[in-house]
Amino acid sequence: MPRPEPKAVSPSPLDGIGLGLRWDFLEEVVDGPQLPLDFFEVSPENYMRRGGYYPAQLEQLQARYPLVTHGLTLSIGALDEPDAEYLRELRAEIERTKSPFHSDHLCFSSAGGRSLHELLPLQQSRENLRRVGERARRMSDVLGVPFALENITYYLHPGRAELPELEFLSGVLDASGAGLLLDVNNVYVNSLNHGFDARAFIAALDLSRVVELHVAGHTRQASGLLLDTHGAPVADPVLELLGFTLSLTGPRPVLLERDNHIPALSELLREVETLRGIYDAAVRSYHAARV
Amino acid sequence: MQRGFEGVFAELTLGPALSRAELQALCDKHGLPSADAAALSESAERLHVYRDLVRGNLREAIQLSMPRSMARLGPLFDEYFDRFLRERAPRTHYLRDVTPELLAFCAPSWAGDARVASYLGDLARHESLHIEVSALPALPRGHVAAPLTLEQGVELSAALTLVHYRHAVHELPEDEADRSVPAERSVSLLVYRSPEHEVRYLELTPVACGIVERLLSGDSLGGSVQGAAAAAGATLTEAVLVGAAQLLADLAERGVVWGPKISDRDPG
Repeated sequence: MPRPEPKAVSPSPLDGIGLGLRWDFLEEVVDGPQLPLDFFEVSPENYMRRGGYYPAQLEQLQARYPLVTHGLTLSIGALDEPDAEYLRELRAEIERTKSPFHSDHLCFSSAGGRSLHELLPLQQSRENLRRVGERARRMSDVLGVPFALENITYYLHPGRAELPELEFLSGVLDASGAGLLLDVNNVYVNSLNHGFDARAFIAALDLSRVVELHVAGHTRQASGLLLDTHGAPVADPVLELLGFTLSLTGPRPVLLERDNHIPALSELLREVETLRGIYDAAVRSYHAARV
Repeated sequence: MQRGFEGVFAELTLGPALSRAELQALCDKHGLPSADAAALSESAERLHVYRDLVRGNLREAIQLSMPRSMARLGPLFDEYFDRFLRERAPRTHYLRDVTPELLAFCAPSWAGDARVASYLGDLARHESLHIEVSALPALPRGHVAAPLTLEQGVELSAALTLVHYRHAVHELPEDEADRSVPAERSVSLLVYRSPEHEVRYLELTPVACGIVERLLSGDSLGGSVQGAAAAAGATLTEAVLVGAAQLLADLAERGVVWGPKISDRDPG
């Protein structure tokens, strides 16, 4: 019996520039004037299975901006099946927020019932490709919306890599039919930490799968290792890589993430303005190349 | 193979820091092929990056919910944090629930550890409750216009909890540097979320506590007042009844009492 096709993600129902919603500026956004933002991305774990102030604020925000959910703890790559209760709650939160799709990370973050609360790298093996691809294929039905996977930052490869990252990521997407949330900063960080060409990596992906792009800041350790901290402004090379990516994908929603050392909202909005300039130029270039 | 990597990452991030030789032994224990173990060992420094990230995230979540208890515990916190990670580890998807898991693990040990102040368990629980109650799921509020009757139960807000301390930790200053010792006395505290989403605290007398406990367990109002008075060794005098009426009026004012129990209401 043929496998049912998962719900298609593309074309993305979102567009333009969005901002990762953080509690540091939630009240300012809810109480303030309409901001030049096209959407907010929310971590559903911060709002689901709870009541109180934050879900109430989110409900108000939802009346003014489109929301899209981006999860942190699905742990799709762990050997154990995802927690059924978590999935039920997640689905309810996705329905509440009317998120057009849901994304999480191609990684594992739990181990034998223990929650590690960090995105840990999967061995790039054929077995993991098959196993995670099959599980991701089921997610759109489980969650009721199309599902997308994000490429993570990894500081080491666990054990021997049977496949290069590009082949592993592409294989999981092919096997699952999932969309790709392409984190441009992660590609950049990985390219420096592991020594590959970021542009060649992006150009080799099936970019028709891209449903959203992420950018964020990173920091460099004394050892030279780049860490994906989301704690600094987006670096210039990542902005350049974003422009390059958009010139290949055409219009896709772009999200600015900031989780640490969060500055004033006005400063984040200045970064958003920069991103919008890059977005407009790259999309013009994309269309010009197709005339 | 994934099982083996999960085991290695979990022990490495949640357990003690390992030397390269110990890492090799850990890989063997989890059945990783020697070539994979060798590849991991070559990345030992980067494995420790993950150790720092995992522990940093968890520690930060706990710091947010019980800063005063952590400050008072000092290095003892690290000792118990390490034990919690090593012997139990978080099970929750939600970082806000890590502290309650830590406290459930530590409370029995703290009670028997002379190095831990006798009030510390109460203080940590009290601090943790702020985030717990702020996040309690709310039930949709039904129509509550009807007056209370003695025969019916009472509908209470779902966003509350009743706790009992052996020390008056709720009277301690908020200052993390403060080291004053709370009075040793039995305290029953109603911790609730107001309709404005603020977490508030109300110390209850034994009779008031008994009433609220019984109402929470579904007893009728009359039965709750009678039972609470009897349990406290008080007779059901007019003063007790007036006190109960004042308590209910106060709780209604605070948004805790909603009205007659929904399931007990006359459908007509």
